[in-house]
Amino acid sequence: MKRVLLIIPSYNEEENVLSNYQRILDYNKKNKTSYDAIVVSDGSVDGTEEICIKNNIPYISLIHNLGIGGAVQTGYKYAFENGYDIAIQFDGDGQHDVRYVKDIIQPILNNEANMVIGSRFIDKNSSDFKSSKVRRVGISIISFFIKVVTKKKVYDTTSGFRAIDKELIKRFSQNYPVEYPEPVSTTEILRCGYKLKEVAVSMNERENGVSSIRAWKNVYYMLNVVLSILVIGMRRIKK
Amino acid sequence: MSINLIFCSIIFSLFIVIFILSLLRKDKIKIKYSLVWLVLFFLLFISLMIPNLLDFITNLLGFKTASNMVLSLFIAILVVINITLTVIVSTHDKKIRLLIQEISILKKEK
Repeated sequence: MKRVLLIIPSYNEEENVLSNYQRILDYNKKNKTSYDAIVVSDGSVDGTEEICIKNNIPYISLIHNLGIGGAVQTGYKYAFENGYDIAIQFDGDGQHDVRYVKDIIQPILNNEANMVIGSRFIDKNSSDFKSSKVRRVGISIISFFIKVVTKKKVYDTTSGFRAIDKELIKRFSQNYPVEYPEPVSTTEILRCGYKLKEVAVSMNERENGVSSIRAWKNVYYMLNVVLSILVIGMRRIKK
Repeated sequence: MSINLIFCSIIFSLFIVIFILSLLRKDKIKIKYSLVWLVLFFLLFISLMIPNLLDFITNLLGFKTASNMVLSLFIAILVVINITLTVIVSTHDKKIRLLIQEISILKKEK
């Protein structure tokens, strides 16, 4: 039996954290699975941590805000220290659906992939929520540059719904890109020759709160991501 | 360079050197980071004190006036120092992140 950890990075998610965790517990009960979950509170200043204490939700409280990359990496460190076989980033805002976890860990269980991305764009009918048009253009631009650098096609480059195997848990716990983590880490592992697979999932729209990427930041975001990807393309490869 | 300008520059470089030394005395700056400033302004001071040295360097490097030469040279040096500082800040970023993560995990485990 492989041990699976869901890492739930949360920044001020008091409205979502309990329902999110409850859904995982319900799913475990119904399907006889035993997914563990850990909330990484990224220096939340609202009631997120009180709710975790009150409801016995396992959580790590970062003593200072680090951003999503730093929070997720903390989860990977925790997974590494506790010997988990698979770690899944599972966003704290209700976008990701626990029913798809079994799909995204399947390729790892079959030894077909080191990392599996839950993708909104593989199967045209799979997702009702495909995010805005602007966002989709951005995602395909990133996809283009990843293709240039790694010669591999990745469709949903910014999906945070990702599973990684034991080898990558170790790697990411030591070294994880904290800025623009999803596209940058994808590029990195592809360049290093790890196997990547995309699996169709459907995502919900955010339940409460606002996404961390704001419209006016989009251009700046794109510039940074593209530059990061090109820089990785210039690096010497070390696995 | 006019005598007024040279005089002002000497006063300024003396002021900077004294300022850095006082920072050192109060332990507000690390010796290894203060060194670059001390050397820089000491060299400026020397080249201002020795007559004709400034003009010699100016001709050597092909500048029209000594003030232009000092200005350009200083901008170039400041850029290098600034980039070095950005590198230092980036490594500190990394170290702080590591500390926050490890302490937070430790706190969880107790």
